[in-house]
Amino acid sequence: MSASPSTYDGVAAVLSLLVLLTEFAMLRAPLLRSQVRLYAFQSLVVTVLAVYVAYSKHIDELYVLAALSLVLKVALVPALILRLLRDANTDLAGSSVVGVASAILIALVVAAFGFFSVGSLQVSSSSLPTSSLAIACAIVLVAFVLIILRSDVVSQAIGFFSLENGVSVASLVVASGLPLIVDIAFLFDLLVAVVVFGVIMRVHHARNATLSTSDFDRLKG
Amino acid sequence: MDSLVVSPYGVQAIQVLTILLGAPLVSGVIANVEARFQGRRGPRILQPYYDIAKFFSKETLVTYESSWVFIAGPIVAFACYLTVPMLIPVLTTFPLPLGFTGDILGGGFILALAGFSVALSGAESGAPYAQLGASRAMTFGALIEPTILFVIFAVALITHTDLPYALSATIRSSTSQMVRPSHVLAAFAFFLVVLVDTGRIPVETHSGTLEFGMIDEARTLEHSGPTLALLKWGGAMKQLILYTILINVFIAPWGLASSGRLGSVGLAAIALLGKAIGLGVIFAVVDNSFSKLRLFKITEFIASAFLLAVLSVLVFYVGGG
Repeated sequence: MSASPSTYDGVAAVLSLLVLLTEFAMLRAPLLRSQVRLYAFQSLVVTVLAVYVAYSKHIDELYVLAALSLVLKVALVPALILRLLRDANTDLAGSSVVGVASAILIALVVAAFGFFSVGSLQVSSSSLPTSSLAIACAIVLVAFVLIILRSDVVSQAIGFFSLENGVSVASLVVASGLPLIVDIAFLFDLLVAVVVFGVIMRVHHARNATLSTSDFDRLKG
Repeated sequence: MDSLVVSPYGVQAIQVLTILLGAPLVSGVIANVEARFQGRRGPRILQPYYDIAKFFSKETLVTYESSWVFIAGPIVAFACYLTVPMLIPVLTTFPLPLGFTGDILGGGFILALAGFSVALSGAESGAPYAQLGASRAMTFGALIEPTILFVIFAVALITHTDLPYALSATIRSSTSQMVRPSHVLAAFAFFLVVLVDTGRIPVETHSGTLEFGMIDEARTLEHSGPTLALLKWGGAMKQLILYTILINVFIAPWGLASSGRLGSVGLAAIALLGKAIGLGVIFAVVDNSFSKLRLFKITEFIASAFLLAVLSVLVFYVGGG
């Protein structure tokens, strides 16, 4: 048998994998509402991962970060988007360019690229296993696939927000001892993005009565 | 009684007997639990035994056009299901003498041969629905195959062998083996494979009578009498074999006998049936919580199983996990 990673590393890697799998589930989700719920769940897993690292490695600052992300990413942001959706009266996400099975296979290839490119960098960290960094890279790349393949504003916004979740996992790996202010700056970035995407959704829906981005190729509204 | 030691070959025979005699019981309990979830009283737990006994006492009808293949199919399949329990850890932690005659791939081949002969027999009946079922079963069987292969790759990477006994022993050795990501992913992928292979929701309504959604069930529509009994019994055995692999190789390889003493082997047999019934209850919950997928959406389900299996191998290469 091959030597297994320690229990701590194993649990941490499984949690980061759960984040990646939620990202894949978003590729599959046909309803905008379920996509937002998946995002809330993904943020919850990232929060749990932060608490797990904080507890095991005794990094107290991470508790503050976890609390902040619980309030913002699990509760506030999804609630805001769901409210915007209620006003927009649209349920289905814009159809993806390719079928679901093909989308998953494409994302799988992209994720494999991320895995091996990061794996060959030989980055090691004291707080989380290297595989978590590779998984974080895969999360970011799959989020890009989601943004590229889906043709509606909400999916693209969710793709962008979940990309931030991937970055959070990466920052937990390489810099869990990072000063708190930097992490909060990340979260603030996210809030700005939420405001920007919210404005885009509102304006776009008010002008074109749709959330699809396929109307954006015309130069004048 | 404790001094009575069964020879390894005897234990092997007991393994086959456990699967043979326990399989209808497990199916009966699952059917009963499922009915209770739906607010019905459900059939008796021993109903599958009565069904099988009833079918054996009836005659087999064969159409003029069907050849001997129609009769031979169920018999070959039943023989296959009797062979597989010799290759996998059913009751013991230590490998039995015939356990090395085939690895996981070997067991997979024998199960595939069983599926093939049932499908062939269904096709030979000449009835349109049985042929439709045979063709669908082969199609989805081929689609799920890459997932099974990647699960086997993951097992082979973790243990450096592809013997089911080795993985079972590896998992028992420490908790860290249990929570390592590649194992968790491979186990979950295999769970989905079992869902597909036992014809459960979200892939198939196993108790329905609507031919359009049928896959595995439709193959047996034309059989009657003893051959139908063999098919029903074989189906229950296949289900218990897959449960046993999932339990004793992937999820919970505990409660197995570590010696050939009759007491501990008997205890292991009871433990296995208990664990299989527990797993069956989980499957019944899954059955009642999801809706059946449209036929052309099944590829999406299979794609997600494939995703888990591939990620399991990737994670092993990147993080050693």
